[in-house]
Amino acid sequence: MTAQAAEARPAPSPGAAKSLVRVEQVVKHFPAGFGTSVKAVDGVSFEIREGETLGLVGESGCGKSTLARLVTQLLPVTSGKIFLGDVELTSLGGEKLRQQRRQLQMIFQDPFASLDPRMTVGDIIAEPLDNFGVLRGRKRNERVQELLRIVGLNPNFNNRYPHEFSGGQRQRIGVARALALNPKLVVCDEAISALDVSIQAQIVNLLEDLQQKFKLTYLFIAHDLSVVRHISDRVMVMYLGKIVEVADSAGTYTDPKHPYTKALLSAIPVPDPKIQRGRRLVELSGEIPSPIHPPSGCRFHTRCPIARVPTPCAEIEPPLEEKVRDHLAACHFSQDV
Amino acid sequence: MAAPILQVRNLRTQFSTQDGIVKAVDDVSFELYPGETLGIVGESGSGKSVTALSILRLVPEPGRIVSGQILFHNEDLMHMSDEDVREIRGRDIAMIFQDPQSSLNPVLRVGFQIDEAMIAHGKSKPDAHVRTIELLKRVRIPAAETRVKDFPHQLSGGMRQRAMIAMGLANAPQILIADEPTTALDVTVQAQILELLGDLNRELGTAIIMITHNMGVVAGLCTRVIVMYAGQIVEQGPVDQIFENPQHPYTWSLLKSIPRVDAVRHERLRSIEGIAPDLLRPPSGCRFHPRCPFRIEKCYTDEPTLKEVAPDDLAACWVTMDRARKEMGADEMVDIRPGAGSGVHKGRES
Repeated sequence: MTAQAAEARPAPSPGAAKSLVRVEQVVKHFPAGFGTSVKAVDGVSFEIREGETLGLVGESGCGKSTLARLVTQLLPVTSGKIFLGDVELTSLGGEKLRQQRRQLQMIFQDPFASLDPRMTVGDIIAEPLDNFGVLRGRKRNERVQELLRIVGLNPNFNNRYPHEFSGGQRQRIGVARALALNPKLVVCDEAISALDVSIQAQIVNLLEDLQQKFKLTYLFIAHDLSVVRHISDRVMVMYLGKIVEVADSAGTYTDPKHPYTKALLSAIPVPDPKIQRGRRLVELSGEIPSPIHPPSGCRFHTRCPIARVPTPCAEIEPPLEEKVRDHLAACHFSQDV
Repeated sequence: MAAPILQVRNLRTQFSTQDGIVKAVDDVSFELYPGETLGIVGESGSGKSVTALSILRLVPEPGRIVSGQILFHNEDLMHMSDEDVREIRGRDIAMIFQDPQSSLNPVLRVGFQIDEAMIAHGKSKPDAHVRTIELLKRVRIPAAETRVKDFPHQLSGGMRQRAMIAMGLANAPQILIADEPTTALDVTVQAQILELLGDLNRELGTAIIMITHNMGVVAGLCTRVIVMYAGQIVEQGPVDQIFENPQHPYTWSLLKSIPRVDAVRHERLRSIEGIAPDLLRPPSGCRFHPRCPFRIEKCYTDEPTLKEVAPDDLAACWVTMDRARKEMGADEMVDIRPGAGSGVHKGRES
């Protein structure tokens, strides 16, 4: 059995919402010299359902940002397929792919680096419109002002420059730009991580409001599990290039089926001293292995508190399969978690 | 209660910039007791890090401690010579920083850098070396004997922070100041470092000042907490009290604005209106008043001072949350600007 065949395709549950994005067996390897490669994303399959927020969590180096760039096709896949609706993005190139990109927008982590300091806010927000030649002249300016209003900024700010805004306001500008073309999917890659706590809440609430208003679908990537739980309908957990668990957010958080998810959850401090003092940390031994030479079998077995080594955990890669209804995990012993 | 080992009194630290004077820390006073874990929380620009740097007289140019006292065992660090302060720094009061990457010298072996911290305070080289290995074991670095010879880049982020903690503990200080020591780390590593700090506090009796923006970190590690806003302390008290029944609207809003991983149901977050004030021109009266949903007329003009609002709980507020709840319906308030909104919670849900 090859590593990739081991990954089961998530079975759409009956009556569930239509899927907007389907990712099938996607692999992304980056060459690392001497014939080796960094296996950043190594055979993942999932779907993003229309109108939902799919959270994606994992620690640094797990491949979550690479996955975001694959979904938006800012990076080509090494192998595998990505569908937007019925269109296979991974088979498109050039102008055809560019046209599809209108549906896929991204909000980035750093509100300082992601806005060109020499462009006015109006031009930044209108850039997608200009790129696709959608609106011109007065219509364009009206749209810019409308977008500014939508994200809670003064519409007359369109002639100002990014440095005149605070971090939270800049992130709102980034949101406005992402919405300019009425996209279907917005990928938020650590979109609130650089902001202060009180400002984070503003942006989270804004994203929630906009989703309702414009029927947006989000792929929300963050390392902060509390925020992900708050905003997501379903949550996907990644470890070393693989998806280890997918479930609705209540399921992932209250009844994790993968020991890594459980460890991750136990590590999040709860802002309540009485509860926090009573919580027990699930300690992971060692460090995240190198994605150049990931461990055999289950990639988590080197750090797993319940692994049975060598067999099966170090030998057989556990498939991502449904453990209870709509709750997928890739673990041989998920009943012991 | 025992006598405090550290007393900060009326500390004012300012930065002179081209645009004027930034009052980064403006009249801050607090005590630290032996063996205590004290959290200082606040957002960027609240003055928490400058407070920490001021304690060790490490404020970088163009910053300057303008006035105040820093009493370590009743001796004022402000009136000591540079040499005397250097003696205390690292020996009696040690500090660890957010980014272990930039706090370690990349071209020197980790072990050597820890040795150095002890040699500077009079230990012999061989003695220091033996203790370095002990320390690395103490902070749970595996294979400490071989790791001492590693260069910083050979260690992971978590290991580097452990090495920094080992360095901080090298001279068995009475106070360890940790400035956002886990902010750059992954959550699982953060949890390990926090556990380590808690153990060290219990076993060695080292008092810890934990500076962080993360309320969860304070909840887990600290017994007492100071909340800072715009260069001033707005509330301080025992963690249980402050987290359960905060009296300052800023503390209250901060706690309401963070989603909790153990949340049972989805509740809309309460964000804080507006942005942090410009410390070149701080607002008149209470500095939080432009963002405060419970401001009254007095708040615009009169500056509140810290006073006891509940047992052991000091807050600088003319209103306080008890009154805001009783008279202003604080608990029923929600954001009223849908869509764009998300910022304001000035009214009630209609």
